[in-house]
Amino acid sequence: MKKYILSRILRSIVSLFVLESVVIAMIFTLIPKTKILDNDQGYKKMTGDTKTVYRLKTYEKLGYLEYEGLTDMCAARAEDYASCLVNDTDENLRVVESFKNDGYVIEYLKKGKKAYAYHEYSVPELILHFWQKLINVDTPNSIQDENNPDLERKYYIGKDYNNVPALMCSGCTYKYQIYFGEGFPWIHQNMIRLDFGVSYPTKSGVSTMEVINENQGSQISVMQKFPTGIEQESPIRQHTCRYKPELDHLDQNKFTDHYADCRTFFNAPSMVNTSYLFGIVSLIIAYVIALPAGIAMARNKGKLGDKIGVVFINVVIAMPSLALIYFVRQIGTKFGLPDKFPLLGFTNIKSYIVPMVILAILSMPSLMTWVRRYMLDQSNADYVKFARAKGLSQREIFSRHILKNAIIPIVNGIPASVILCISGALITESAFAIPGMGKMLPDAINKMNNNMVLTLTFIFSALAIFAVLLGDILMTVVDPRIQLNSKGDDN
Amino acid sequence: MAENNVILSVKDLEVKFKVRDRVLTAIRNISLDFIEHQVVAIVGESGSGKSVFTKTFTGMLDMNGEVTHGEIWFEGRNLMDIKTDKGWEEIRGRKIATVFQDPMTSLNPVRTIGYQISEVIMKHQKKSSEEAKKEAIELMGRVGIQNPEQRYDEYPFMFSGGMRQRIVIAIALACHPKILICDEPTTALDVTIQAQIIRLIKDLAKEYDFTTIYITHDLGVVANVADAVAVMYAGQIIEYGSVEDVFYDSRHPYTWGLLSSLPQLGMKGEKLFAIRGTPPSLFEEIKGDAFAPRSEYSMKIDFEKEPPIFRISDTHWAKTWLLDPRAPKVEPPEAIRSLHQRMIGLTSKGGVYGE
Repeated sequence: MKKYILSRILRSIVSLFVLESVVIAMIFTLIPKTKILDNDQGYKKMTGDTKTVYRLKTYEKLGYLEYEGLTDMCAARAEDYASCLVNDTDENLRVVESFKNDGYVIEYLKKGKKAYAYHEYSVPELILHFWQKLINVDTPNSIQDENNPDLERKYYIGKDYNNVPALMCSGCTYKYQIYFGEGFPWIHQNMIRLDFGVSYPTKSGVSTMEVINENQGSQISVMQKFPTGIEQESPIRQHTCRYKPELDHLDQNKFTDHYADCRTFFNAPSMVNTSYLFGIVSLIIAYVIALPAGIAMARNKGKLGDKIGVVFINVVIAMPSLALIYFVRQIGTKFGLPDKFPLLGFTNIKSYIVPMVILAILSMPSLMTWVRRYMLDQSNADYVKFARAKGLSQREIFSRHILKNAIIPIVNGIPASVILCISGALITESAFAIPGMGKMLPDAINKMNNNMVLTLTFIFSALAIFAVLLGDILMTVVDPRIQLNSKGDDN
Repeated sequence: MAENNVILSVKDLEVKFKVRDRVLTAIRNISLDFIEHQVVAIVGESGSGKSVFTKTFTGMLDMNGEVTHGEIWFEGRNLMDIKTDKGWEEIRGRKIATVFQDPMTSLNPVRTIGYQISEVIMKHQKKSSEEAKKEAIELMGRVGIQNPEQRYDEYPFMFSGGMRQRIVIAIALACHPKILICDEPTTALDVTIQAQIIRLIKDLAKEYDFTTIYITHDLGVVANVADAVAVMYAGQIIEYGSVEDVFYDSRHPYTWGLLSSLPQLGMKGEKLFAIRGTPPSLFEEIKGDAFAPRSEYSMKIDFEKEPPIFRISDTHWAKTWLLDPRAPKVEPPEAIRSLHQRMIGLTSKGGVYGE
């Protein structure tokens, strides 16, 4: 079993690798590069050389190419830096020539005729870069600051501002490597981070992971104690502090070291958490109602209850989900519930009720159908006939024998439904203006936010693969006949 | 048989099924007494109503089936008065147990063997789970499972077909039933296992003191285990007698046909006998003798009037006009007349017949 799971994980990683690489190749070759800047308002207003340089720098930032201005070129290759910067000197020509020989395209600015070079990456290079920078391990040698040569480099167990022990580090990018508290799952780490590049053009310059993960809303202040000993209300999340090369007066007031670049507390959860909250609660509602309903329908097949259930299933499936959403929302407003999420916001429980109910209703019919169907399939099995002959009551047969068999295929799907809650619900979230993940991918595609598309594809497919594996493992728990063994492996 | 106590008595039973808005009469007025401790074999071709007949004893007819007429007397009460599943639970498993044809599918694949045995013990004997486990393990040993303690927690898929049928038998016997109905218990098993299972049921019948009703179309099994044989055709018992009566002195043309078509008794070089035609449709009312259209011996009256029961001896009767004193004298076919010799020939060569 262990061997099988290991090989399965290995295969999952390979398929994830192939999939993501294909997506990278598609995004970087099929989407015209010029289109990328279409949504950048700042770029539209620029003119002349500024525009050219901004364009190239943006491309570089997004990983399309490597751009070298004249200063960069001279700094890298000139022996005489000063004369290199002057047009048409020997040194200048030599450096430009050497870049040209290395396959760079050399062009000149309109004003001043300064040379610049760029080199567009080929698809294999793009894929390579993506994977190279993807996994970011924070070590005590991460920070190389010339102005701070005496920076200590070590891990140590310290206490955070709440006096909770944490694994801390000096020399790493993040001060807190492993810490506790601050919400689910109550243990957090900063040691290994996934880096998918920065978001652009929306939330330009912010890392895509941060866009997804960062809390939303407005800042809130929390009474806290800083390393210098002062206590004050501040929105600073000390757990997220990164190394900051240059400290200002305010920083020095609070911090004793260079770790002063911190994120802040917000009053609303991140997009992922928002979607997850809606997803998971509605999923629980759906299962809690649909499983017993499906079972009851199977037990009373053909009777009134079953017929009502079938009508419900058919109506919900047949009705366009948008129509259902607006219908239920209308009912909700009759009971004084808001028709848009931001009206009452995150803090009011009334905001959640209608969207959650809608999401639950939407996922119930298929669940009910399958449960009913699997139960009916099983109730015609021979072992049920034998169980009857044993003298068991109908109820005992259903609860002890049929249910356990019928639930197997359902169980297989549970991890996927639970995990993939994070992908959000596009239509419902849009209808209620819920700031969740649902609109993320379509928005990113619309705005040509390549890195965001890559991030989301990676996360969704990784989770999907993981969920399927988890489903299979879970199935071995309920069905003793299924054993996850590769061929010829008896372990 | 020292005493001939009737344990179960069927009187004038009629069973009808609704199939796609049409009514099918599966059992047509059967009356039969089952004698305590006897092994009764019910034989007949597929669709003759063997299974339906025995299902009525435990109220296990399919949803669309109904006993329209008749009584079944068991332990001083008419089982046809039981209307609810709850009432039947007193009988099923506890008094009358059933072993089905296919052991591969008779057990719940996702419950342990032990669970499935002790469940019945706990339900019917109201024992605690420890007691039930102890008894289940004992029972498993009794039906020939090696290392029952270890195998108690195993799942059906870990057992072979023969072993599973032993488990099924163990479950059936868990509550010491008065009657064990074996619905083709060996059909799905291979020949070597068949003999073992038959032997097992035979042994257990003595030990656990139950009456066995075999449903089978394997006359080999019948010859080996049965005390009495009931031959069914088109929802009726057309001949009933001790095993000797039916094998060596059968009177009904259908029984002749059945015996003649035994492959084990076929002679080398002879074409194997087959009864021509197909059984009548049970959707229509059958007039006269149901077997008449397929019989080589049918007379005019066979098509007009249903034959009554003709008693040949105390233990033997048949429903055929051939037994009427007015009927012409008919000799059974050659194959039947030499049946005795052939069977003796078989047994002298290969030990006990059927094993």
